Amino acid sequence: MKSYLSLIPISARVRRQQNRMTLLCIFFAVFLVTAVFSMAEMGVRMEQSRLSDKQNALTFQDILNSEMGQSLFLAAAVLFVLILIAGVLMISGSINANVAQRTRFFGMMRCISMSRRQIIRFVRLEALNWCKTAIPAGVLLGILSSWGLCAALRFLVGEEFTSIPLFGVSAAGIVSGVAMGTVTVMLAARSPARRAARVSPVTAVSGNADSGRTALPEKTRRHPSAVLPEGLRTRNHAVPAQRRHGRSVCPGVFRIELFLGIRHALSARKNLILMTGSFALSILLFLCFTVLIDFVGCLMPQSAAASDIDISSADGTNSIDSGLAGVLGSMDGVKHVYGRRSALDLSAQLNSGGTLLFCTADLVSFDDFDLECLKKDRVLKRGSDLSKIYGDSGCVLAAWDPYSSWEIGDTVKIGEEDLEIAGLLNYDPFSSDGLTHGSLTLIASGETFARLTGTTGYSLLMIQTTVDADDEDVAALRAAAGSEYTFQDKRGQRTAGTYLAFVLCVYAFLAIITLVSVLNIINSISMSVSSRICQYGSMRAVGMDNRQLAAMIAAEAFTYALGGCALGCLIGLPLSKLLYGLLITAHFPYAVWQFPAASLLLILGVIFLATAAAAWLPTRRVKRLSVTETITFL
Amino acid sequence: MNLLEVQSVSKTYGSGETAVHALKNAAFSVPKGEFVAVVGESGSGKSTLLNMIGALDTPTSGKVFVDGKDIFAMKERSLTVFRRRNIGFIFQSFNLIPELTVEQNMIFPLLLDYRKPDKNYLEELLSVLHLTERRGHLPSQLSGGQQQRAAIGRALITRPALILADEPTGNLDTQNTSEVISLLKEASRLYEQTIIMITHSPGIAQTADRILQVSDGVVTDFGRCRE
Repeated sequence: MKSYLSLIPISARVRRQQNRMTLLCIFFAVFLVTAVFSMAEMGVRMEQSRLSDKQNALTFQDILNSEMGQSLFLAAAVLFVLILIAGVLMISGSINANVAQRTRFFGMMRCISMSRRQIIRFVRLEALNWCKTAIPAGVLLGILSSWGLCAALRFLVGEEFTSIPLFGVSAAGIVSGVAMGTVTVMLAARSPARRAARVSPVTAVSGNADSGRTALPEKTRRHPSAVLPEGLRTRNHAVPAQRRHGRSVCPGVFRIELFLGIRHALSARKNLILMTGSFALSILLFLCFTVLIDFVGCLMPQSAAASDIDISSADGTNSIDSGLAGVLGSMDGVKHVYGRRSALDLSAQLNSGGTLLFCTADLVSFDDFDLECLKKDRVLKRGSDLSKIYGDSGCVLAAWDPYSSWEIGDTVKIGEEDLEIAGLLNYDPFSSDGLTHGSLTLIASGETFARLTGTTGYSLLMIQTTVDADDEDVAALRAAAGSEYTFQDKRGQRTAGTYLAFVLCVYAFLAIITLVSVLNIINSISMSVSSRICQYGSMRAVGMDNRQLAAMIAAEAFTYALGGCALGCLIGLPLSKLLYGLLITAHFPYAVWQFPAASLLLILGVIFLATAAAAWLPTRRVKRLSVTETITFL
Repeated sequence: MNLLEVQSVSKTYGSGETAVHALKNAAFSVPKGEFVAVVGESGSGKSTLLNMIGALDTPTSGKVFVDGKDIFAMKERSLTVFRRRNIGFIFQSFNLIPELTVEQNMIFPLLLDYRKPDKNYLEELLSVLHLTERRGHLPSQLSGGQQQRAAIGRALITRPALILADEPTGNLDTQNTSEVISLLKEASRLYEQTIIMITHSPGIAQTADRILQVSDGVVTDFGRCRE
């Protein structure tokens, strides 16, 4: 040993198992940041190469300067900051717990004359020693993941991703990963280092090594009977100090093991903040990422009725022969052919709940396939009955937005016929912003439209091609359609691949965030248990059974989880609403934020399971140790 | 009547060439109310013997009967409950729960049993242990002697038939040592409890009713001191 610092690698070797989770935390945080930045750089490189190919297209600067672009980058910045906070919390919590469980060790170091400054240096260098392996591993996995993702985008998704670099190494990714890892670890080690330096040498020789760390706050200490279960307080200590100081634990309600578990969670305030913050952040990130998925859904609506080829009448009238649909439908490369007819500005009389309103209405016909797609796309409002629309019927659908006055069950008189509104669309698919702006647009079946207007010709024919349809098939369709109609080949405008890629990326990050949170939770609880293992040993020696031990650890874990869930919901829901408004409602006014019950239930379920696992793993470890082993644990 | 029967108890750690025989065929019995001192050099197997008697560890072979019950024939949960109700432990390093006050630490074994303490008995214990004034203090606010007295209180609160003390005076000064020993003897007399105590001090050992010496895993009964 050249210096006292040579103890660091020796200690790391001996404590390999205990340090594993801390290393994993640093590794995952670095991996996450490296992967995010690498993918971002690859995306930028791809976009630049695409833009250089299209001279008339928007420049990258234009995209950056656009309102939509700025919203996107703002959202990305917010999410990045959240990921950073998650990383800092995770690593801080881990190092904090790692130091906390070695209070006696640091006390002993102080005993054998290590100065406070040397202790601080020791803890910091120990943290940096973890970086030595965790950061390169995180960066490497981040780069490999970005390569894998790029390959998946290029070969599986294709379309505009065919130009994404395959084995690009992102300097921004590496630098940000290394910087994030190092800076976070150094920041995270500051406080535990100071805490370790404050450990009194007495703790090494005293049997109550944890007393300084876990002692009650000064105010509570003056009224120690506050922690005594109800009925056991004596007259001298009748003052319920916890109530006076607003502590949430009500000792009379809980059994001793639950009470101690909750107390363990609440007594170490810093750990409590880190743990609840960590839980809360998982919920927050999950809810924010869910908004991003909704945003992409609005940005690139994935309709089952999206067409690859449109054939429209040149003057917008219903002049396309209805027989053409049958001809095209039987040709090679065609999966579906469906058409629309339209009659605009019809005089109409709306009877909405007894109130008559004279207005004009646009009537559009949808073929059966088109109607079915409305259901698949989930654009019908609750209470809509699509089955009433098919065939020659007296029912129609109506476009709707939150400002519309018509509801399901209202009637519209067109000519001499009363038509019942049997369903509403969530938005107006025929307007640019999804709002109806007060104009009534009705959707009827082809048969109903023909009966009402006497018109059978289409104004628009749409074709969905098969996967193997090639340019020859499309040329044949163009020839069959003839030159009197406008023929539009939209195959190059498909966004399904982009949408899929984005959703996959978001879900992948959600999975990683969830995994990191789960690991962090398990790690923190495990370390908290390790730091009290000697205490658990003495509790077992004086008669605590395994069930009580498990209940105590579970109570501690669930105290963190419940606090975190409450905080996460309290901040996450308004933030989700804010982000929804900023990203979605601002650009798609018809979209209204709804309480994300499914997402919330999912993340709360994951947190519940993670907490259960987090409590179970260390409990199993402690149970496997004999009482004599735990009692002499140092 | 014997409260404790130790029958051919052996304990071996490891196996093969690295096997350590910590205890070799220990066999003795202790009647009710006796104060036994266990002496021996460091590493001789004293703590191992105490851990076996207290069911904190399991022997490689042999049996231990406490109050007529074969403790290693019991299942884990029943054994824990039995230990909680019948055996009190006093450790060299006190091992009090840092978040709990003296009073709470003392009644902790009862709380684990979901029982309420007998207030009169608690007051009596606090008084005997000279801890009445310190009942509301945390372990970190006490001296070593006071902490050990609180630990003795915790061991006595369930009125166990057997008290096992592993060098209870090891961390104490002379005055506190004599106080703690007097208290233990007083408890043994007052509450008719059997006490088995490990000590390195020949002086303390001499005050016991009987001395057991452990040397290289072999227990030798030196017999009663004050016959």
